[in-house]
Amino acid sequence: MKIPVIHMRKCIILLACVAMMAQTSCRKELLDQTPTGLLDAQVFWKTEADATIALMAAYSAVRAVFNRDYYLDGHGEFTRCRGTSATSGNILRGDPYQGANYDPSGYGGSFTKYFQYLYGAVHRCNYVIENINLKMLPTATGTNKANLEAIVGEARLMRGMVYFRLISMWGDVPYIGKIIYNNSEVTALKRAPIGQVRDSILADFDYAVAKLPAKAIGLGRSSKPAALAFRGKLNLFWGSWKKNGWPELEGFTQSAAEAQAAFTAAAADFKSVANDFGLTLYKNGDPGKIDALGNAEILPNYFELFTPKANGNSEMIMVFTHSGTPTNPSQGEELMRDFSGRTVEGSQCWMSPRYEIGNRYQLLTTGDYAPKLVPLNPTTNPAARTTLNSAVNPNSYANRDYRMKATMMWDYEQCIGLNSLKSTGMSPFIYQTWAANITLLGVRYITYNTDGCNSGYVFRKFVRNYGGLGRSEGDFAWPVMRLADVYLMYAESSNEVSGPLADAVTLVNRVRARGALPALTPAKYASRQAFFNAIEQERIIELVGEGMRGFDLRRWRAIEKTWGPPGGPGVWLIDTYGANQQRYYLNTIDRVYQQNYIFQIPTTERDRNPNLTQNIPWR
Amino acid sequence: MLLGAVACMKMSAWALVLLSSLPLMAQQRTVNGTVKDEAGEALPNISVAVRGGSAGTTTDALGKFRISASKGDELVFTSATHEPFSLKVDDRDDYLVGLKQSSSSLNDVVVVGYGRQKKVNLVGAVGTVNVDDKMVSRALPNVSSALTGMVPGLQAVQSSGMAGNNNASLLIRGLGTVNNASPLVVVDGMPDVNINRININDIETISVLKDATSASVYGSRAANGVILITTRSGKGQKKTRLDFTSNVSIVTPTRGQDFMDDYPRALTVQQRRTSVNTLPGNQLFKLGTVDEWFARGMVDPVKFPNTDVWDIILRQGSFQNHNLSASGGSENSNFFISAGVKDEKGLQINNDYRQYNARFNFDTKIRNRWNAGFRFNGNWSNWRYALAEGFNDPDASNTAGNDMQYAISGLLPYDPKTGYFGGVMAYGEDPQAYNPYTLYINSPSRNNRQEIQSQMYLDWSPIKGLTARADYALNYYNQFSWAANMPNQAYNFQTASFGSRVYVGANAGVSNTTATGFKTMLTGRLNYNRKFGRNHDVAGLLLYSEEYWYDRSQGSSRNDRLHPSLTEINAALTDIQSTSGTSSAEGLQSYIGRFNYTGYNKYLLEVNFRVDGSSKFIQGSRFGFFPSAAIGWRFTEEKFIQKVTDKFLTNGKVRVSYGSLGNNSGVGRYEQKETLANLNYVIGSAVQRGFANSKMINRMLTWETSTVLNAGLDLSFLNNRLTATVDYYNRLTTGMNRPSEFSIFLLGAYSPAPRTNIGNLRNNGVEFDLSWKDRVGKVFYGVSGNFAYNQNRLESWNTLLLRGNIFLQMPYQFVYTYESKGIAQSWADIYAATPQGAAPGDILMQDLNGDGRITADDRKALPNTLQEMPTTTYTLTGFVNWKGFDLTVFLQGSAGRKDFWLNIYNNTNFNNARYAASWEHWTNPWGWDNRGGSWPRMGGSGNNRLSSTYWLDNMAFLRAKNVQLGYSVPDKVLKTISIENLRLVLSAENIGTLSQFRGLDPEKQGDDNNVYPINKSYSFAINLSF
Repeated sequence: MKIPVIHMRKCIILLACVAMMAQTSCRKELLDQTPTGLLDAQVFWKTEADATIALMAAYSAVRAVFNRDYYLDGHGEFTRCRGTSATSGNILRGDPYQGANYDPSGYGGSFTKYFQYLYGAVHRCNYVIENINLKMLPTATGTNKANLEAIVGEARLMRGMVYFRLISMWGDVPYIGKIIYNNSEVTALKRAPIGQVRDSILADFDYAVAKLPAKAIGLGRSSKPAALAFRGKLNLFWGSWKKNGWPELEGFTQSAAEAQAAFTAAAADFKSVANDFGLTLYKNGDPGKIDALGNAEILPNYFELFTPKANGNSEMIMVFTHSGTPTNPSQGEELMRDFSGRTVEGSQCWMSPRYEIGNRYQLLTTGDYAPKLVPLNPTTNPAARTTLNSAVNPNSYANRDYRMKATMMWDYEQCIGLNSLKSTGMSPFIYQTWAANITLLGVRYITYNTDGCNSGYVFRKFVRNYGGLGRSEGDFAWPVMRLADVYLMYAESSNEVSGPLADAVTLVNRVRARGALPALTPAKYASRQAFFNAIEQERIIELVGEGMRGFDLRRWRAIEKTWGPPGGPGVWLIDTYGANQQRYYLNTIDRVYQQNYIFQIPTTERDRNPNLTQNIPWR
Repeated sequence: MLLGAVACMKMSAWALVLLSSLPLMAQQRTVNGTVKDEAGEALPNISVAVRGGSAGTTTDALGKFRISASKGDELVFTSATHEPFSLKVDDRDDYLVGLKQSSSSLNDVVVVGYGRQKKVNLVGAVGTVNVDDKMVSRALPNVSSALTGMVPGLQAVQSSGMAGNNNASLLIRGLGTVNNASPLVVVDGMPDVNINRININDIETISVLKDATSASVYGSRAANGVILITTRSGKGQKKTRLDFTSNVSIVTPTRGQDFMDDYPRALTVQQRRTSVNTLPGNQLFKLGTVDEWFARGMVDPVKFPNTDVWDIILRQGSFQNHNLSASGGSENSNFFISAGVKDEKGLQINNDYRQYNARFNFDTKIRNRWNAGFRFNGNWSNWRYALAEGFNDPDASNTAGNDMQYAISGLLPYDPKTGYFGGVMAYGEDPQAYNPYTLYINSPSRNNRQEIQSQMYLDWSPIKGLTARADYALNYYNQFSWAANMPNQAYNFQTASFGSRVYVGANAGVSNTTATGFKTMLTGRLNYNRKFGRNHDVAGLLLYSEEYWYDRSQGSSRNDRLHPSLTEINAALTDIQSTSGTSSAEGLQSYIGRFNYTGYNKYLLEVNFRVDGSSKFIQGSRFGFFPSAAIGWRFTEEKFIQKVTDKFLTNGKVRVSYGSLGNNSGVGRYEQKETLANLNYVIGSAVQRGFANSKMINRMLTWETSTVLNAGLDLSFLNNRLTATVDYYNRLTTGMNRPSEFSIFLLGAYSPAPRTNIGNLRNNGVEFDLSWKDRVGKVFYGVSGNFAYNQNRLESWNTLLLRGNIFLQMPYQFVYTYESKGIAQSWADIYAATPQGAAPGDILMQDLNGDGRITADDRKALPNTLQEMPTTTYTLTGFVNWKGFDLTVFLQGSAGRKDFWLNIYNNTNFNNARYAASWEHWTNPWGWDNRGGSWPRMGGSGNNRLSSTYWLDNMAFLRAKNVQLGYSVPDKVLKTISIENLRLVLSAENIGTLSQFRGLDPEKQGDDNNVYPINKSYSFAINLSF
């Protein structure tokens, strides 16, 4: 076949054109698209500022596994957590807490996600610690060195806190102390014995105690008293486990001697925190003023302590900060959404006080318990509102510990309603009468509205009484270590070592005084057990809603004390009307009790990793 | 298929004309000739006949014919591919005839990737849909739903009738991968065009490329098949033609939700449900409330409403589609212009969608051997809707997404007298009960989108057979969504006061989001088509292409609109506002080659390859190579076979293809880049930057590859009256590209886990396509059907698979279910069963593993039944034409799928306040006085809601998809008013469905809470050409 020359030439030109096009792509670096708005990993870890920035991410990740601890209060008997507002998949919106069970029983197998995020927080800390140690500290000098060491100290404090949480729930856990680069490094991990993990945590806390400044550089960062308090708390828990035993944890041995050593170390650290840093309770422990029953214009200081107004006060030894400006809502907390009802910015009332806590608030007059409340149904009993000691008679709540009014609302107590960031005025709470029109003393109100309360009480603690921020935009700095808690932990650990000590009683009285309660009568610290009971009572009231009760019940092995022995009738939890609401521990077998003392190692991971052993009751 | 019918019919009509002409007798002699096309290529298989005579023949492979005729006879040349032509026999004995390619002959020329091929010579598995009068007369909201049942092996599932969101999801030959399994859509050569925004009236033909050979020129993105859409042109038209089509439909639901419009009864249902574990005195709803509502509801519908919620939020929908187009051409150029408007009023109130389309296609010869052209398409849509799925929003972050279950009847949605929107009023009712009306009216979402698709080309044929062509295409879109809710509050008509529920606060703001982006594509290609010697046809294609995507979005919102009537962002206070924005880009570089050889018009060979480089992958694993080859044999062309088969078999071809295709769709644009994630913290009250390492990159990640073997047989019998196509395929998808499964020790920090090539999935299947067309007297009729069966099997998976409906050597997502023993009628039944916390009225489960407990281990696999999609799909179409009347019936069906009917509307353990009970809650639940109840008791064991066989429904269905009656006004009448074609149509969609499914529609998921019904529509349509 013959192709004319002229065509041949054209053809060559054409081919050349096409070849050229193919050689130099028309768009430069077509296949090398640089991400917009994402930081290239290679340009990081150059300056001290980079170290701080990485530390901020570690704070954020660790915050995410502590700032909704209040849900964990559902494991105790005084707070109901009927669900959570946590959004699946969003670490800043409580994902670590999402999907878990917060009932008083049957929760141990549901904390897979939490477990996962605790380890996530460990990696965030390791990323800071290892990179500073390897890339920066070897060449650092002077203040730069001190600053970097302090940053490592903060990261190690947090890593210790995370592992502390891990061992207090799961006992033995694998220890990861370095940056992981590949999945295969962790697929065959074994659990490290709890003692070994405790030693690593102590090493982290020791480093933090040595390197952290006495006062944090900013609200939301950590300081030496925080490190001391956590070291003390670890020893207190260790002492409790050693003293009371942990039979569900294989290989863990009870030892009175080790317990004593741990309690002694704990007491020393707590004492240092209480005395050496000039820390005081909020407003020096002044109870503040209180309004008449049914009014809420003036609320005690204890209420204010749990609002953003008190951010940065010296009682809060360590906090995780939030900033819920509407322009940056992802950094906000959702305490309002969880702790209040629809009346307050359409909140959901996932958390509410159980009826049973009402009787725990003591009288200002005697400093001891009030006569037991009598639940009565006002829809069937016309005298219910006036009967003496009736749970629906507002007068039954007169003269109580100031913290009661600061913590919760009973019938005819009021709070500020909020809508669209503005106050809608006072709204009285009347159980089972939701969003109804009512006239009290000539003033018309719409009653408190919620679909989340089944006890007759709702929380006031943690709920802001002023507008401006939405239910998911809170800016409260969530405390993970509070001076009041340190006082009580000092009292507890010193009581274990040497029985009731005068300085311990003083500290407990200081906590009581903020509720305007009189000091403990001598009978209350006449014996080690009596003083322990007084401390427990104080912990219940002071720390309600802060997620401590479940941990206390477990380390004291007090689940049976609260709910009765296995195979028993359990306990019906009721409401102010006397209606049965929920019953726990009915005909519950030993194994379930055991399962409530130790959590289940996530089975999904055990399916993949046969080296990962399981806790005894979950086998 | 439909079109095939029409074209064939036209040919028969033509034959009829021939037969009826009077014979002319004269001196017979033999005349010879050659038939060639416009390019001078010889045309085989052209039928040559003497008008009015009985003589007839066809041209041979060299285009030559020989026929006996006499002077003055008229020779008529007809073929399916070319325009008919006639010439008078004069004194010459040898004639050279040139035929023009016909524009309506696409039946026999099939659009394939970067070109067209003769259907008889096709070796790949390609299904075609021609968009004809019958299709445009239907009330089809978009092209994807028009594809339902059109091509065997192409599944188009429409699961909602929501205006603006009623597209069908497309799947070719089953679930090809656990990754994104949707096919690639290419419009006029440009990939990544939204099929649902194309005006159906602009489309000439749609090709569905199903196997490796036909799709491999689309390489890296063709693993799930390709849908090629070609828009119309005026090619071959001498006269300018105007077409007007119009469709006006009324739309009603096929089936809806039966909410109870009787509040006292609904409260009674609540009492029954709570009586299981609550004393009457402790129940939320008191008998007095029920009685009062019952009595006063009869006289005061404002204070004591019994609202039929479903009735209030639904309306009669409508659908209108009007289109005007002009097409024409001359020797050197041709054009197609079209403008259309589509207007949908959804069944849900305030759900409207309107789209405008405009297109201008133009081709011209700019010089000898040089051609150029361009395509322009613009569309513009305005969409208003309440929630993402209409009545629901499946997004977990929207906590109100499933509030439809709380739409109680004891609530007056709206009172026109006062202008207030009602809230709850009954004592004990949850104030959070749902008033859907206020949401739909006061808080609609709006989405306005504009798109432009434009492209131009220049081609040059320097030497015979060789064409060089450059194409440049640009797609641009701009989408603006906004919301500005109207403040309103729940009103209590009984107390004449506002309740605490504020539906939209007084600080209602405005939010705007703009998304905009473009895609460009530059291709340069060389085509070579040449015949060597007498019997060797060779075609080659080399192509280079670059594609680039760029998308960006920006959003802003402000609280506190100055006045509710103002809806722009500047009409709001600035003290609370927020902004967001992002952008991303992607590049793809490709080299494509194809070689075709046809020997002796019967031996067919095709070899393809494509190399793709994508910016999504890191260097080293960036390029993928996807080759394929196919052979075909037109055995009926062999003399020794022809001898035997000539009588009945007109045409026969076997073809086999084998090759590989890729898929990168699941991989994010920057997923393989090592970047740090932003994780901020707060110091004091100031937000602090934080960066965390959240990514572990899988450096081994490569393309997902599908290897497809396809064997097909194309047969046509009895002069094309009966045609059949059979295809068998075996597709192995290897290295399915999926997020890996990380250890729990990493997931908390490194999430999502990097993608990995996780496993292999094999799809096997057969497809049949059968069609029969004939006439009886003046009645033309045809029946056609297609059938596709697909089974898949998960062959490997490189991480742990636990018990679930995905398992090795099983079909993907098989049914995995508890076995129910039915409802326990007595305590004796309970004691006879494994202990499971049941009481009479509860569903009892079988303890399959016999361990004395009912656990997840007691589930059973049904290995031949899929939960998510059917194994078998089929359609049946029949048509009859008589004297201008035509009737078409189109049936569609599927089988092989079962799903659990468990959603929020048939819940027997519903909330103890605010629940929108249905009438089924009144009649169905088991009770001591309703032993035969088809539902378990209310408030019973949690096991009643388990995915058990009790709730497992067969999702097989047979649906009358379309029935159409048309009347074409006779030519005689039309000529007088100079109209070329006028067809009037009555058409109905989805008029009936046979199915055992108890839920809304068998094409929905069984546990779907989405209650937007499927549309049933009745239309009147006009097709007019002049």
